[in-house]
Amino acid sequence: MDQLVLFVTLGFAVGAVYAVIASSLVAVHAATGVLNFAQGSIALWGVWVAAELGATGTLILPIGSVQIADGPAPTTVAVAIGVASSALVALLTHLLVMRPLRSAPALSQVVASVGVMLLIVSLVPLRFDTTGAVAAPILPSGTIEVLGAQVAVADLIVLGLALTVAVLLAAYFRFTRWGTATRASAEDETALRLTGWSPDRLAALVWFTTGAATGLVAVVGSPSIGLDPISYTFYVLPGLAAALIARLRSVLVAAAAGLAIGVFQSLLMMMSTYDFWPVWAQAGFGETVPFLIVMVALFVFGRSIPERGGVQTLRMPPVRPPRTRPVYALVVVAATVAAILLTEGSWRFGVVTSIIMMLIALSLVVLTGYLGQISLAAMAFAGTGGFVLSRVTTEYGVPFPLSLVLPALAATVLGVIVGIPALRIRGAHLAVVTLAGALAIQTFVFGNPAFTPYEGNLIEDPTLFGLDLGVRSGTVLTTTSFALMVLVVVGTLTWATARLMRGRTGRSFLAIRSNERAAASVGIDVAGTKLLGFAFSAFLAGIGGCLIGYSRGQLSVESFTVFVGLTLLCTVYVAGITSLAGAVVAGLLAPLGVLATFLEGTLGVGHLYSLIAAIALVVTAVLNPVGITGSVRQASEHLIHRRTTRAQL
Amino acid sequence: MSVLELKGVTAGYGHAAAVRDLDLSVKAGEVVALLGPNGAGKTTVLRTAVGLLQPTSGEVRVFGRRLGRRVEKNARAGVVLVPDTRAIFHQLTVRENLSLARRRGDLDIDAVLDRLPRLAPLVNRRVGLLSGGEQQMLALAKALLARPRVLLVDELSLGLAPLAVQELLPIVRALADEAWTGVLLVEQHVDLALATADRAVVLHHGRTALSGTAAELRADREAVRKAYFGDHEEDELVLAEDGAPLHA
Repeated sequence: MDQLVLFVTLGFAVGAVYAVIASSLVAVHAATGVLNFAQGSIALWGVWVAAELGATGTLILPIGSVQIADGPAPTTVAVAIGVASSALVALLTHLLVMRPLRSAPALSQVVASVGVMLLIVSLVPLRFDTTGAVAAPILPSGTIEVLGAQVAVADLIVLGLALTVAVLLAAYFRFTRWGTATRASAEDETALRLTGWSPDRLAALVWFTTGAATGLVAVVGSPSIGLDPISYTFYVLPGLAAALIARLRSVLVAAAAGLAIGVFQSLLMMMSTYDFWPVWAQAGFGETVPFLIVMVALFVFGRSIPERGGVQTLRMPPVRPPRTRPVYALVVVAATVAAILLTEGSWRFGVVTSIIMMLIALSLVVLTGYLGQISLAAMAFAGTGGFVLSRVTTEYGVPFPLSLVLPALAATVLGVIVGIPALRIRGAHLAVVTLAGALAIQTFVFGNPAFTPYEGNLIEDPTLFGLDLGVRSGTVLTTTSFALMVLVVVGTLTWATARLMRGRTGRSFLAIRSNERAAASVGIDVAGTKLLGFAFSAFLAGIGGCLIGYSRGQLSVESFTVFVGLTLLCTVYVAGITSLAGAVVAGLLAPLGVLATFLEGTLGVGHLYSLIAAIALVVTAVLNPVGITGSVRQASEHLIHRRTTRAQL
Repeated sequence: MSVLELKGVTAGYGHAAAVRDLDLSVKAGEVVALLGPNGAGKTTVLRTAVGLLQPTSGEVRVFGRRLGRRVEKNARAGVVLVPDTRAIFHQLTVRENLSLARRRGDLDIDAVLDRLPRLAPLVNRRVGLLSGGEQQMLALAKALLARPRVLLVDELSLGLAPLAVQELLPIVRALADEAWTGVLLVEQHVDLALATADRAVVLHHGRTALSGTAAELRADREAVRKAYFGDHEEDELVLAEDGAPLHA
């Protein structure tokens, strides 16, 4: 019994952070209609600012720093400034990023908030010394006895803070005129303006307040939870799960659900110490809980979760069915062959990585750009391909190219499973499911020693008709034969995708993206087509994952983390998510690709890659939603139109 | 003194102008009926007068000053629009809707409910559960609470039973008479509009086709008919028994 109580209370600190994030997500959604993926990152920044102040007395800013005290700053000062930092980051996120996107499609809002999340996560290791940092105690360190178990007073205080925040937020919405006006703005912003209220100011107040509240609970809870450059960021997923259980309506239910998830994860940890608990469920099982909750919550409540009213929604960036122009294709292939033959070492590796990442980017173009389904799980599908490749080549000796197809089919199955929720939900909610799914796959499958051994996942080199297609040969980092094999595989699949998108399937995708009901009314099987989209996209990503596997020779989870996936989404969005050309450009810009090689090898600023990608994403989402290729196309069409008009005159 | 003045206003949507070079003014304590067929530009005039739409040329002046771009600020300054969508919040209760409209120094909610006694027993009911007439009453109550100096009303009679309309229009009239509010009333129900208003303007294709006192227009139905249909003499305006215009 005392052990049960102990583990229940051990879940309080993390559960409190989940609770405050969940209640903040509900509040921000009520005020702006945005699902803020960056809420965890907002807490992360405050936690590190407070920790640094507590340790050295230095206030770290995104650029520059200020010495507040000669030695460690007093705890109250460190906490206050940490909380203020979180509040300020939240307010700036609203003013600079989300407010300009108020009438933008869900995709733009999702990628913008993901961009802010990546921006903060990229900034933390650059601005803070994250190795071996420890959060100094903030709250009393004593314990009290509850039902025979010694419970930390600090954990109870953090829990009390989170619940107080939830009660205050609920009271604000229920009993104050400003809160009532915020609820009204969720229904009809124009009507609220006509009533004399500014929805922008109400939203700014909610962003600021929830940023401060999230920062407060996270900063105060950080000595119990620990300092980590990433983990707080992903606390947004249990937070989202809890918010969805509350149907994005009730702050109190969201907080209670967040706390329950934290306690449940702690109990799972306790269970994993028992003999009867299976080995495969000992690692990462707690992280799959939010995914399962999100899936169930969205399936059960999917249609009763409120959508934003009153604001005119802008359209997604325009799409044009791809045209297969042999001359252009030949020029691109010839240029790529030349790039392969004329480069060596890390540059050739960069070229090959770009070609592979182009294929994974293409999977996003198909699924998100053409079919309109926001997926944040592309790298998880790729990783599945890579890890299955390791098994089938080393354990079963499956020969190339069958060794590409089988893992890709495994990824396809996973793609369909993650895609099933898309039959009932769409937009930002689908992004939540796919992100939760990606994190569950990363921790439960890739990071689980029962599935992926500690000694690494070796991959046999591919051979075809006795020809060695392996990536390394002696001191050569990337062989020409391997690079050309990658080009042939990716080129063939790109050509096939272009054909598919030009035909009936592509038109069905576009019809569903445009209007699901209208698509169904003209006889398109919406459910089947959506699953086909997820399956095809996961297949492409799976092949891409296999090629990454072959290019490394040995796989680790680092190649396929959720962050790599999100960074790839950034690059695809920046490049232009609605065109094949966008996939090509995204390949060049992708992690470890040509641009990354240039930044690392030529400029020596490779460590800034994630930061640059995140900034580019946020700026693109706000200022140029059609991406690089879209704006190039618009500019060229404008020129052609001017020339034609002049010629006619 | 004119509380609302439109000078040479052209406004519309994208490249399409719905109102062209329009001059219009409303004095304090005056009710001006804005009439015209569908697509004449009546709603566009109201949206421009409250700042929801910016004129492409010309200007809107309220109390002698140029109208600002921020709708909420205009509303707080006393320019209140009751749109045809009613601008009420269905998820909130009647009292919550009214509390949003009330500002410091404004009328008491109970004082407004005295004028609209049918609304009084419904104050704690969610607005989505009210009838169309009750919702329209609430929209008007919200406007009254804000003590408007310029009241813009769009299609008060839309979807309502004649009895409900007869209950609401006198409240608008009383507001002009007692609080010296300038009212611009868009109404399809020609007879009721002319019975309530001091003056009337008939729009056709975004331009003034006819204007005069309400009494003059009531006396000259033929002129109103022509103004409604422009030069299309073959069309005939038939006023139904309740006064609403119908095509023959």
